[in-house]
Amino acid sequence: MVMMMAPGGTRDMCRLVLDEGADAVYVGVVGWSRRGAEHELSDDDIRHVIDDASARGREVRIVVNTLPSSTEIPMFVERIAQYAGWGAKGFMISDVGCMRLVRDLLPEVAVHTSVGCGVTNFEDVRFLRDNGATHVVLPYRMTVKEIAEIKQKTGVGIEVFLFKTPSGGKICPGKCMMSSYFSYRRWLDETGKDHFYGSASRGGDCLRVCQTEWDFGPDDSFIRHGMTIKTNPALWLDELPAYLAAGVDCLKVPGRDRSDLLVRDIVRFYRRVLDVIQESDRPDLSGFRDELLVFHQRWKVERGIRDNRLIGEAEREARRVERAQVSAKNFEVVI
Amino acid sequence: MFELSTNVASPQQLRRGDFSAYDALYLGEFSCLSYPNNFCAHPEFLADAVAQVHEMGKKAYLRLFAVPSNHDLPTVRNVIKTALGLPFDGFEVHNLGLLQMLKEMGNTKPIHLGVFGNLYTDATARVVKDYGVTRVYPNPELSLDEAIYIRDNTPIDVLIPVHGKIPLVVAETCFIHENSGGLPGEDCKFKCSQEHWLTRASGDWSLKDTGCMTLSGADLCMLEHVDKLAAAKLNAFYVQSHGESPDYIATVGRIYRDAFSRAFAGVAEGDVGPQLEQLAGLAKMGLCNGYYFGDAGRRYVGRA
Repeated sequence: MVMMMAPGGTRDMCRLVLDEGADAVYVGVVGWSRRGAEHELSDDDIRHVIDDASARGREVRIVVNTLPSSTEIPMFVERIAQYAGWGAKGFMISDVGCMRLVRDLLPEVAVHTSVGCGVTNFEDVRFLRDNGATHVVLPYRMTVKEIAEIKQKTGVGIEVFLFKTPSGGKICPGKCMMSSYFSYRRWLDETGKDHFYGSASRGGDCLRVCQTEWDFGPDDSFIRHGMTIKTNPALWLDELPAYLAAGVDCLKVPGRDRSDLLVRDIVRFYRRVLDVIQESDRPDLSGFRDELLVFHQRWKVERGIRDNRLIGEAEREARRVERAQVSAKNFEVVI
Repeated sequence: MFELSTNVASPQQLRRGDFSAYDALYLGEFSCLSYPNNFCAHPEFLADAVAQVHEMGKKAYLRLFAVPSNHDLPTVRNVIKTALGLPFDGFEVHNLGLLQMLKEMGNTKPIHLGVFGNLYTDATARVVKDYGVTRVYPNPELSLDEAIYIRDNTPIDVLIPVHGKIPLVVAETCFIHENSGGLPGEDCKFKCSQEHWLTRASGDWSLKDTGCMTLSGADLCMLEHVDKLAAAKLNAFYVQSHGESPDYIATVGRIYRDAFSRAFAGVAEGDVGPQLEQLAGLAKMGLCNGYYFGDAGRRYVGRA
């Protein structure tokens, strides 16, 4: 039976997605997941969500998928042990070293690789499996054939996003540092936790610089104007039966940084879709297509708002640093 | 002492370039198998190449393709099979699955983990060390202190890029081909032989694009910090030169060879203004210090 994992970007979102039939909810730990703090939960909230889910017979996955500093690892391990003690059944992790530590410490928990692992082939999957992964998330672009081949050659749990890329552009989760190249700041909090503003891989929000307007071309003769660098993925539907037949074990609903109500409605939608698929050998999903188009629109609107906010932040941060540099230079001149 | 290395994609580049300032060459362009005569995709060129590099008195490391899909794996396997029978001094791997493949193919040569191996922690360095990795290129987002921590606590050698554009993104598809009307599977006509740039319409942001890889617009430049690198007992340095001219490779190599030779001989670096000016002249979008000092990658911190 496939597991539908839904996002828990807020405590309310967690409750809503469990109400709508998600089999598991995934929640980010403040400072330890690939999203900004406003879409991560405090320890108190996480404990509450675990209790709520357990009472309903559902599971919680804890997202700790930053690529941390080496010096943070003892703190990472301590946190993992704490959440497992509270009843968390699994973790989403990017750093291979951390993955292996978790496997050695808590062999009974599920370890999902994060999209940050940047898997491209079945040998990657074998490597991750051998180093502690029980489930491997595959990138948006993989075909059903590739997924089936990976499942057959590795036997590992396969997780896919209910999200795919319709066309080209750079899609490279886990292998992109564009955001932090332009805006980046590092600081330690009172607990000794490192924070990396502007680096998605290290726990700051990706500032979506790829979504601003770029000119592109050889030297100065641009061939494209006002383009974005990356293509945005979209929710999908029709291939779902084929994915399940290929051996997909977990379906991940995206949207930790979307509104509670949009995520609630998407989970409700996919619950119905999955129930239809699981009740029939030849499911007819045509009746869901119009509804999906509405979700595409709602998603696009929320994404646009978020992207503009983040790009604005990137610009402000860049200007702040430039001003600081100018002030420092002026100070040197005065001295 | 120290090792200064750079990269060479093809036999033509190997013949044309002046690599006299370098101790070692990474052979192959890891981001694109279709790059013309790429060592990463052409086992037939490897024997001559390794012989040529050794004749120059340098080490030859073979780079393996960074983002192989399932259907690329036989090509990569074939390259490895050929290289295992040749006197390469090591492999460079970006894709963790290939570590597994090398192990199973009986490799005993040293392995270097490349920039897209995504190495952030000593815990991961210990994992890859178990697969035969002897040197790691820490993710560019790491500070110098973090790289040194990994070296000391794994322990393992670290490769420190000192000059050139910073690899920021690698993807499975070619951005240049896609955006110039090319269809998947169609001959790309080597459009990346021309420099391509991404420039933000309303600001000073710029990136260089080589098709399957996006690089920083500015050139990383650590010339003003050579003393500090030597004092930290770092000893493997790298000039990223993919997409650069033979003149760039030779000039940059000479400047850093001189600077490191002085630093390792205990001679103070002194005024590097003229050399810095020369390097700035080669950098179309200016110089930066990457993330080494905990700042945004495109900033130039300088000695102060």
